[in-house]
Amino acid sequence: MSATTTGAVPAMPSGSLMRRIAWHCRYDEKRELWIGWWTLVAFYNLYGLLFFVLARTQPPPQPSLGPAEIVQWFDDRRSGLLYGYAIVSIVGGATAIMTATLAYTMRRMSVSRAFAYSYLLIYALATLPGMLIMGVACTVGAMRPDRDHALVSWLYDFAFLSFEGTMGVFLVGSLIWMAAVLLDKNRVFPMWFGYLNLCNALTEVVVAPAWIFRRGVFAWDGAIAWWINMAVFVTYTTVFLTLLRGMIVREDFGSGPLPELASDRAPASAGTLGAAR
Amino acid sequence: MTTVQVSVAPRADGSDERAASSEKPGGVRFVPGQPDMWAFVLFEALVFTSYFTVYVIRRTQSPGPFLQSQTHLDLHVGVFNTLVLLASSWSVARCVQATREGSFRAALNNAYLTMLFGVVFLVSKVREWATAIAQGFSFTTDEFFSFYYFLTGIHFLHLLIGFVVLGVAVSRIRSAAGAAPELVETCATYWHTIDFLWVLIFALLYVMR
Repeated sequence: MSATTTGAVPAMPSGSLMRRIAWHCRYDEKRELWIGWWTLVAFYNLYGLLFFVLARTQPPPQPSLGPAEIVQWFDDRRSGLLYGYAIVSIVGGATAIMTATLAYTMRRMSVSRAFAYSYLLIYALATLPGMLIMGVACTVGAMRPDRDHALVSWLYDFAFLSFEGTMGVFLVGSLIWMAAVLLDKNRVFPMWFGYLNLCNALTEVVVAPAWIFRRGVFAWDGAIAWWINMAVFVTYTTVFLTLLRGMIVREDFGSGPLPELASDRAPASAGTLGAAR
Repeated sequence: MTTVQVSVAPRADGSDERAASSEKPGGVRFVPGQPDMWAFVLFEALVFTSYFTVYVIRRTQSPGPFLQSQTHLDLHVGVFNTLVLLASSWSVARCVQATREGSFRAALNNAYLTMLFGVVFLVSKVREWATAIAQGFSFTTDEFFSFYYFLTGIHFLHLLIGFVVLGVAVSRIRSAAGAAPELVETCATYWHTIDFLWVLIFALLYVMR
């Protein structure tokens, strides 16, 4: 975390971790931004654990499975689905904090507020199909093992198509962020991040064939529609978390260009702020 | 505990430092245009390389059906499209050269010529798709045609974005002060990337046996 040491604010204690955390909670003027950033980091890690390890719904199974195989798929991970999506239903609201933190970066830019508002709205919508609806469908499928096989198959398709359906939202969201970064004069993010948003948006387009194919590289578990797309998304997420952290360190709560990190703009000039970690 | 120093010194010229970062301290630029665009080129090259790798693996696994379907593509149309895009790369390079020399009229003409070549490519590509569909070869016909429509389609999308990029260059060239060479170089870098990707797609879909 960071802090500015101005006025009557006492210096950050160098003792125990708890004392330092307490100091940040009380005096750090960027505490809300850091809470948002840590929420993002924690959520993405938890998301990976819940979806990949506990519920085991990712990587996605084959869309070409027959009814008996689908029922078997639910049987194999019944507990994981129930416990995993119970946790998802508890932490799902954290997406509001995450999206707000990302939208804040656009509010700090010199561009219209419409960018941040559009971004907020579109990702608020994405949470429903990408996480909650999928979770509910998987839970309903796992809850009663004696349910009709045809119904379980319906839930299986519904769950994974719902997840795939968020790709259009990520496409538009990435384009909004791209346009904001490229038009911004406040240097909140480097231009290459704007172009990286374009790359991410274009890989979301590639998911569209998953609605048509039930097997092969374009199906929802395919090499192109899922694996390459996921590799790009993980890279993109790692990059924006890193850049967002740098942005928070540089934040001066002004309205003009964001100050550069001294390490990027040596030598450090007069009027520097010490950001302690 | 570490201390991170944050400078709050105001910018002297108000210019966008991000766009001027391709210049080394000694004044020698190490890439034409913004380095940021080269990061995009590198990332897109990686993504397309992964698509091409998947295509080659799938083709290797069933060479017969791929070869059979490939014979339905018209190589002449593929060659024509390639030549048109190579010509567009030539005209956009002339646009960059004219901008560097301050000949903005010539730069504008070459930018328009590039757009014209781009439109010819788009029309030709749509006609090729229409012909293939009329012959019964759609996106779901077989795996080769799935790749054919996918790779040419995603390239088509990149080309459409290229018109926006060229539009930015034209807009700046038409402005009273004329465009900075770096901006036109950046736009040209994007356009050359589209051309480069097409050459690879052409080789994989039309030529490779």
